[in-house]
Amino acid sequence: MEMLVVLIPVSVVLIAIAGVIFLWAVNNNQFEELDKHGLDILDDDAGDKS
Amino acid sequence: MTVSTINVPDMHCSACSGKIRSALASLSGVEATYFNPSRRQVLIEHQAGIAALDLLKRIEDAGFTPVLSGVEFHDEQQKKLLKRLGIAGLSMMQVMMAAVALYSGAFTGMEEGYRRLLELTSLLFCIPVIAYSAMPFFSGALKAFRTGINMDVPIALAIMIAFIASVSATISGNGEVYYDSVVMFTFLLLGARYIDSRLQQRFTSTRHSLAHLPLRARRLGADGPELIAVTDIHTGDHIWVGEGEQIPVDGALVSSAAITDEAVLSGESDWIHKAQGAALWAGTMNRGGGFEMTTTATFDASRIADIAALADRAQLERTPVAALADRVAAWFIPAILMLATATFCIWQLIDPTRALVAGLTVLVVSCPCALSLATPAALTAAMTRLRDAGIVFTRSAALEQVAGIDYALIDKTGTLTMHEPKLDSSTLLNERYSLEQCLALAGALQQHSAHPYARAFSLTGPVPLDNVQVVTGKGVTADWGQHLLRIGSAQFCNAGDDTDRAVYLAIDNEPCCRFWISDEVRADAREAVTALRDLGITPIMLSGDADAPCRELAEKLDIAYLARQTPESKLEYLQRQSAAGHRTLMIGDGINDVPVLAGADVSATVLEASDLVKSKADILFLTRRLTPLPELIRTARRTLQITHQNLFWALAYNLTAIPIAALGWMPPWLAALGMASSSTLVMFNATRILR
Repeated sequence: MEMLVVLIPVSVVLIAIAGVIFLWAVNNNQFEELDKHGLDILDDDAGDKS
Repeated sequence: MTVSTINVPDMHCSACSGKIRSALASLSGVEATYFNPSRRQVLIEHQAGIAALDLLKRIEDAGFTPVLSGVEFHDEQQKKLLKRLGIAGLSMMQVMMAAVALYSGAFTGMEEGYRRLLELTSLLFCIPVIAYSAMPFFSGALKAFRTGINMDVPIALAIMIAFIASVSATISGNGEVYYDSVVMFTFLLLGARYIDSRLQQRFTSTRHSLAHLPLRARRLGADGPELIAVTDIHTGDHIWVGEGEQIPVDGALVSSAAITDEAVLSGESDWIHKAQGAALWAGTMNRGGGFEMTTTATFDASRIADIAALADRAQLERTPVAALADRVAAWFIPAILMLATATFCIWQLIDPTRALVAGLTVLVVSCPCALSLATPAALTAAMTRLRDAGIVFTRSAALEQVAGIDYALIDKTGTLTMHEPKLDSSTLLNERYSLEQCLALAGALQQHSAHPYARAFSLTGPVPLDNVQVVTGKGVTADWGQHLLRIGSAQFCNAGDDTDRAVYLAIDNEPCCRFWISDEVRADAREAVTALRDLGITPIMLSGDADAPCRELAEKLDIAYLARQTPESKLEYLQRQSAAGHRTLMIGDGINDVPVLAGADVSATVLEASDLVKSKADILFLTRRLTPLPELIRTARRTLQITHQNLFWALAYNLTAIPIAALGWMPPWLAALGMASSSTLVMFNATRILR
């Protein structure tokens, strides 16, 4: 049970990191148009972007 | 009269819209305000003198954050909501884990020190939820001080009371902690709001969205093409529309030919070949090669902008059922607060340890969100579906009325038939001239006539005509070399007596050719009539024409008819039907139909009708077909059914959940789940209309 004293602070740090990554992902539009990339291969013009 | 659309993203409930309405009403020059709760929009009809800034300021003073253009803001709003939701979710997992340990510890015995550690951990994870995730509820509730009570008040109160009670229990070391309820409640409510806003976006951004007009156009100036904003286009400008581009404003084709796709405007999926001089409509697509056009309207005056404005007004108007639901919801919130307090006080007498939980549960479970969403969600979905089918509502209350109609009165000319008369057959009466020659002469002569039938003829080639004279109401005369030409009615051309539908061409006062003009029947008119009958609606054709052409058409369409009708007799017939208890839908297009349209329970018109008729009619058909008519009735009936289902579920949920919560039989997390899922259920039910 003494391990809790160590593990709980560790979990706090891990969750803080997860939270920061999540906020970064939303801010960088990682959750926008989730269907789009699956359909990209059907789009003939997609190659022009590069 | 100007109309301004303002987005107010933090307008959640009927109490909010009431505040905005009264704040704007105090501004002189504001004629009317309409609200669209599901799009969080306010549409204001006001005199031209009022600046948009004044309107924004009024709304701001009432305690809201108005925004002029909405689309990007909606995305931003949704992103913020997602971040709040994610943080609440991460925190919730940790708090729930600690809660499981605390619950099991309470049964099996747990050292005081570990209990304190777990409680402090829960508190730590609860802080971001209170300070960040739940912020919208707090700011919404704070507004209640300025704008009057709203739906965020019970939510914020429940979160705050549970949190403060838990913190004081943690510090003092005795008493229950409710951190798990706090985070779970916040998470579920945010989740429901997030899903609702996603669904709303689905309603408003559809394939045929009228909002997606191009922003730039290529104007052909003296020194080549230049890119300009569409709002800078003037009438008479020459612009270039490239291959696959959208036509930016209404205009006429200058190049020799073009192929356009007008699905966005009319729902017509076939591509249309346009000849030089043909009308082009803003928002439609260029499917052929690039072409040059001259503009006939500015961006704001384009037909698609008119339709969008009419449709928006309808969306913002409140139907009687929606208004009733709003009133009930506004009355509900103070009642909930009192009920929760009463629950707390009574439990205090019975069992003080359960008083707080029972009071909070009542507060949470009874939020009337679902009730206030029930009607607007269904209506918005129905409007979206019908707009895709080519039907636009100018008055949304009409949708409820369409569901109840059992008589459809349909005007013949221009409604059952096309506006364009068609040359049905030509008979040569004099062998000295060929049929081609007669058609060419008739085409050239009719270019000068303003009679509707003249549009049935087309110019086939150059014909030298001199001394052209238009004899109003009779025909046209002209000199063609040595010959005198006449075109017009039988009498005008010395051909004896004939019906109005026959047009004669006479050369040197000798009738040469007889043209028979027919009004082209709208495609699918017969199917539409049959479908109406299948839906239990009696279709009747009304016409001012003589009996013979009416009977001919009526037999073709298998429809009952009344011929030789004047506007007065049409109205009288309509009133007789109403008196007999029938609900009537009138479809007409002429100015002479306006009194009948106004007298009917629901009125509809077609796109070709004049502006006066369009502004009076409740429903506008954009297609050149009549098939959307049965679709309209079916969708209206289904919408009414779904609205009733929604209202029933919302009321049933509140009425059963509140007593259960007050009796203390419901844990707070279940209350939060019930509240969040009831409003989401209502939204999902509304999306069934889209399918």
